[in-house]
Amino acid sequence: MVMSGTPPSKRRDRSIAPTRRRLLKAVGTSATLGAAGVAGCLGTIGGDAENTVTYATLNPMSGTYNSLGPTQRKGAELAAKHINESDEFGFELKLVKGDTETDPTAAQQAARRLVNKDGAQFLFGAISSSVALALNEFAQDEEIIYNPGGAAVPITGEACNEWVFRAETNTAQVAEAVSEYTVKNLGNRVWFHISDYAYGESVLKRVRSRMEAADANLEVVGVSRSQLGASNYDSFISGIGGSDAQVAVLGMTGSDLINFVGQAASQGLKDRVNLMSPTMTFAVVRGALGKAAVGTYGGVRYVPQLETGDNRAFVEAYREEYDGEDPDNFARVGYESLRMTARGIEAAESNEPAAVKDQLPGMEMDTIFGRNQFRACDHQAMNPTWMGELVEGSGETAGVKLLSKVEGKDALPPCEQLGCSLG
Amino acid sequence: MAAAESGTVRETADPVLVTEDLTRRFGSLVAVDGVSLEVERGEFRSVIGPNGAGKTTLFNLISGALPPTSGTVRFDGEDVTRLPPHARVRRGIGRSFQITNVFGALTVHENVRVAAQSVYDAGLPIAERFFCSTADFEEINARAEETLERVGLADRATERAAALGYGDRRRLELGLVLATDPQVVLLDEPTAGMSREETRATMELIDDVLADRTLLLIEHDIDLVMNVSDRVTVLDRGRELTTGSPSDVAANERVQAAYLGGER
Amino acid sequence: MSAATTLLEQVLNGLTIGMVYVLLAAGLSIIFGVMDVINFAHGEFFALGAYVGLSVALATGSGGFWVALLVAPLLVGLVGAGVERFTIRPLYGRNPLYHILLTFGLVLIFKDVITLIWGQQPYQFAKPPLLSGTVTLFGFDYALYSYFVIGIGALIALGTWLALTRTRYGLVIRAGSMDRDMVRYLGIDIDRYYTIVFAFGAMLAAVGGVVLAGRQNVAPGMGNAVIIPAFIVVVLGGLGSFRGAVVGGLLIGVIQTFVRSQFPFLEGLAVFLLMIAVLLLRPQGLFGNPEWGTGGEGGDLLTAGDADVFDSALKRRIGVGLVGVLAVTPLLIGLPSYYVNTLVVNILIWALFALSLDFVMGYAGLVSLGHVLFYGVGAYATVLAVMHLVPSLFVALAVGIAVSAVIAWVVGYLSIRVSGVYFSMITLAFAELFFSAVFKLEWAGSSDGLFGFDPVYGLFAGPSVGSIELVGGVSVFYYVVLAAVVGSYLLARQVMRAPFGSVLQAIRESELRTGFIGYDVTVYKRRAFVVSGGLAGLAGGLAAVQTGGVSPEFLAWIRSGEVIVMTILGGMGTLYGPMLGAGVYLVSKELLLGITEQWQGVLGLIFVLFVIFVPRGLVSLPGLLAGRFDRSPGGGTDVLAEEETEVTD
Repeated sequence: MVMSGTPPSKRRDRSIAPTRRRLLKAVGTSATLGAAGVAGCLGTIGGDAENTVTYATLNPMSGTYNSLGPTQRKGAELAAKHINESDEFGFELKLVKGDTETDPTAAQQAARRLVNKDGAQFLFGAISSSVALALNEFAQDEEIIYNPGGAAVPITGEACNEWVFRAETNTAQVAEAVSEYTVKNLGNRVWFHISDYAYGESVLKRVRSRMEAADANLEVVGVSRSQLGASNYDSFISGIGGSDAQVAVLGMTGSDLINFVGQAASQGLKDRVNLMSPTMTFAVVRGALGKAAVGTYGGVRYVPQLETGDNRAFVEAYREEYDGEDPDNFARVGYESLRMTARGIEAAESNEPAAVKDQLPGMEMDTIFGRNQFRACDHQAMNPTWMGELVEGSGETAGVKLLSKVEGKDALPPCEQLGCSLG
Repeated sequence: MAAAESGTVRETADPVLVTEDLTRRFGSLVAVDGVSLEVERGEFRSVIGPNGAGKTTLFNLISGALPPTSGTVRFDGEDVTRLPPHARVRRGIGRSFQITNVFGALTVHENVRVAAQSVYDAGLPIAERFFCSTADFEEINARAEETLERVGLADRATERAAALGYGDRRRLELGLVLATDPQVVLLDEPTAGMSREETRATMELIDDVLADRTLLLIEHDIDLVMNVSDRVTVLDRGRELTTGSPSDVAANERVQAAYLGGER
Repeated sequence: MSAATTLLEQVLNGLTIGMVYVLLAAGLSIIFGVMDVINFAHGEFFALGAYVGLSVALATGSGGFWVALLVAPLLVGLVGAGVERFTIRPLYGRNPLYHILLTFGLVLIFKDVITLIWGQQPYQFAKPPLLSGTVTLFGFDYALYSYFVIGIGALIALGTWLALTRTRYGLVIRAGSMDRDMVRYLGIDIDRYYTIVFAFGAMLAAVGGVVLAGRQNVAPGMGNAVIIPAFIVVVLGGLGSFRGAVVGGLLIGVIQTFVRSQFPFLEGLAVFLLMIAVLLLRPQGLFGNPEWGTGGEGGDLLTAGDADVFDSALKRRIGVGLVGVLAVTPLLIGLPSYYVNTLVVNILIWALFALSLDFVMGYAGLVSLGHVLFYGVGAYATVLAVMHLVPSLFVALAVGIAVSAVIAWVVGYLSIRVSGVYFSMITLAFAELFFSAVFKLEWAGSSDGLFGFDPVYGLFAGPSVGSIELVGGVSVFYYVVLAAVVGSYLLARQVMRAPFGSVLQAIRESELRTGFIGYDVTVYKRRAFVVSGGLAGLAGGLAAVQTGGVSPEFLAWIRSGEVIVMTILGGMGTLYGPMLGAGVYLVSKELLLGITEQWQGVLGLIFVLFVIFVPRGLVSLPGLLAGRFDRSPGGGTDVLAEEETEVTD
């Protein structure tokens, strides 16, 4: 994504910051030596044992995204368990936990606690983009590996840095899956309704441009924006219903999306207009909407019924661990973030983040999605994405029927286009 | 006009405080109804009347606590009708309250000192106003101490005002007014709730410390003001019944009727 | 669709959401009118209604919705009665501020209890089939459920109105909400009605919760989402006015809907602008009693100024010692740098924020519910200054202070003329206005915030702040913060000892009297507000540097609540008390974080107990304890009276 709040000046700083930091470190070390008498007891903490890796999982357990944090954490916990049980990994993974409170300041403080006090060298978590962006900076300052849980493009786009490796599927990848299918199959008279914040704007921009590329006859009937966190969408629903739109693309997530679709369903909009949202298939959304979600469309980052990679094994293990509960995308991200990074640790034969960050880029490995990698130029995992339709499920919750798939290499736009160029 | 009736007290008319046709309504109730007063410089004027006669409302209008519905207030020739209370204090109209209103958590000295400081407020340079300790302003402190001497609270200067007894708090109330160096002092029942003994002491104190000022005193006990006042204005149901020397007023039949009819 | 039907549809949309506001605001308003309680927990009753309704509906199967609609409000009403009886009752006669604090604590408790019972995932209420789908009325389609919401809202509002006007209880309550003292003069013990009123308000909120649950998902944050609009309705309609709540609720609902479709760029702003405008033109609200709030009723703000038992020499020694320890120990002891660079820095920043609030709340009696505005503006201005002006830390912080002070002047100019609760509400509205606006500002980073900036020392060159480390990983920034906070405290203390501060203390004691010894109270308050805004801006700027960026969360109202909690926890009107409060709050949070996921609830419980039993804050604790052990006359209070207290520092 090209817009976003990161100003141009920032990129200039980035290039000099590491060297400056190293310089300062050297100064600091000599100062330490100078004051050796008093500073003798300042050893590093936690990082001493060669075959232990301290991994921090920092999830939104309170605040706006608190409904999503718990499964993200469960995925990470399951990964830690598997890594420790498996012979494949020659080290012990110690998991330490924190709460982002969906607030960058609190998240940054929690991250410091986990790194400085508990000795974490690897960090996973966050969902909201402002928190993830704050942790991006933190990872670079602290020189630790960070796996963001947020989907916003700039995290591995404009704001990318060499310490950040993302296993989550980003918005651009999902847009790739939904745009073409939607405009070709659901209708080319489109209304965009978005939540008025960075994520919504990025959906509008990206999906629209992909649709334009796929179908020259695309007609954008209307664009409307609601405040983030709004709970009443009647007026927008009326507006869309009163237009001749065939499809409404909803650039919103979580409660906003749930409320929109729920209210749209009860006003009968669903019968007249196809509703499509990149996040419609989220387990939380489906769980909350129940039958009201049936008949809508969405992008798919992950669903448990996938037959890719070792997904079957993952789903089985997850169900066993958590009382038959199915994993959702956040659980997959938690699991895969830790496992992919752990593979890098194993291959680098070092628990030093600096060594791992040199090892990971472009390294092919087996994942839930089959062969995958953190792409070398931006450290974004090359996940495949799907278009899905919500259909009658077994119980109250709607199921997801996969309509089309976009392979990992096709789903991810080139690095230059996303604004990142590493290594 | 009422002043003509008395005619004896002042030869040269030098009114410092003048109200013209001052009126205040609360909904359908007319609390003060067309009152026109002229208070001479240096005069001790008492305003009496039964409960609900509009005395305190009149004070509120003169001091600026309430805006009048119509009419004007002039002070020293200037129309002050629309000025807020603090601006009137700055010009020289001080008032005390019927219910004692002092700064409870502050010391007695600090109470009076803050009041004295207001005289200098406009002239303080910003840096001094914000950053110099109050203890450094000798003139203000001297003024505060002098005021405390005059109201007889010098030996209790370091106590919190809230810890004072009722009578002493009334004295402090007077001290607050005095410290702002007013030309005209409005006293709202300064002896309310006091014993006979305290009342006499307070009236003597007022006569003593405020002798050089123009005084406007509200009282509903008619006997109390007879000896000390130059002139007395009687209010009844918001209207000015009469104004005159104490003896004239005492002899006035309408006043007697109002008091007999109006009270109990 | 024709223009007329579109219009009709938008009006119906507005009325639907408006009715829910009415249900919330009616209870809130009556509770305030009768009991002077500003009930921040009202939104939680609303959420609790939705959750209890959900469970009841699930348990009773088909037709469960109707059972829920009946049972959930009753249960929540019962909870409300308990809350009133055991937490609010001990506080009557105190300033409404204490109810804010208490109910803020209750919000935290309720929220955690809700997540403990129902979990964090959102639910969707199964609407009864009877109410699903659309219905054609007057020739156009509309959701049946919306008609149902409007209908049931109108029915309950009407019923409440009849109860208030036709029953003896209602008449007493209504009279009490207009003029409590008058009711007392009539010899009616209005206090007896408090429990009923509170429970009834909770019930109305719960009905709103159940009804709205049919339209939107049931999630832990739902109480938080409605409380601010509900307050706006109440303030707009006039505190204590039932009619105001009804008209205000419907008005806000309709206006919100229209703005959304007609002026989308004003969405989220219009309501706050409207509230600010109404308060400025008609401070008592549309139907409020104009005499309210000018009468000086409302009980005392319990400052700790006179409950402070330490003498000033001892305090100075403790203070100097503490600063010495903070300055030297990090270099000597090998603490994990987290404690110094993060925890202590965070405490210091919040201490500064609390200090800034105490400056106006504890001294000028201005209870600012929107103080986070200055903190957030300071943070944004600091970050923007580094990015676009000069990358110097000190220049950026100065810009942050200046911009915050200017905004404080403007907000102060507009809002200080309204008094008491209205002032609190108008500051809250300003803060929410900025919070909403920042999402729309591309150059302020929208929801992503602004991250990745690097302030350096000095003007144009010098090492970067975040990275420079001294012995043992203690960053230089730690000392910058320490110096800024200690300096601000000394400055604030000196201002309180100066003529300016002495007038503020007089204002705190009696605004009326201060005016009548010749001070322009409004001007003094405004100046204090500017100083306070500047200090808060500095705190925000430091926080932004510490976080490495800024995001809309810096402007979230919950932080205003937190800083008020810290201030009262420590003991306001003492300057150092609130700073102590910040430390205790954050250390407690740190400890609780390690023990329980429900740390917010436990913190909430601590506040509730504190507000009830130690209202003057931690500073008063030694005196309280001493008083408990030494009941002989001349014990506790006389000592206080003899103490030299020119300035409470």
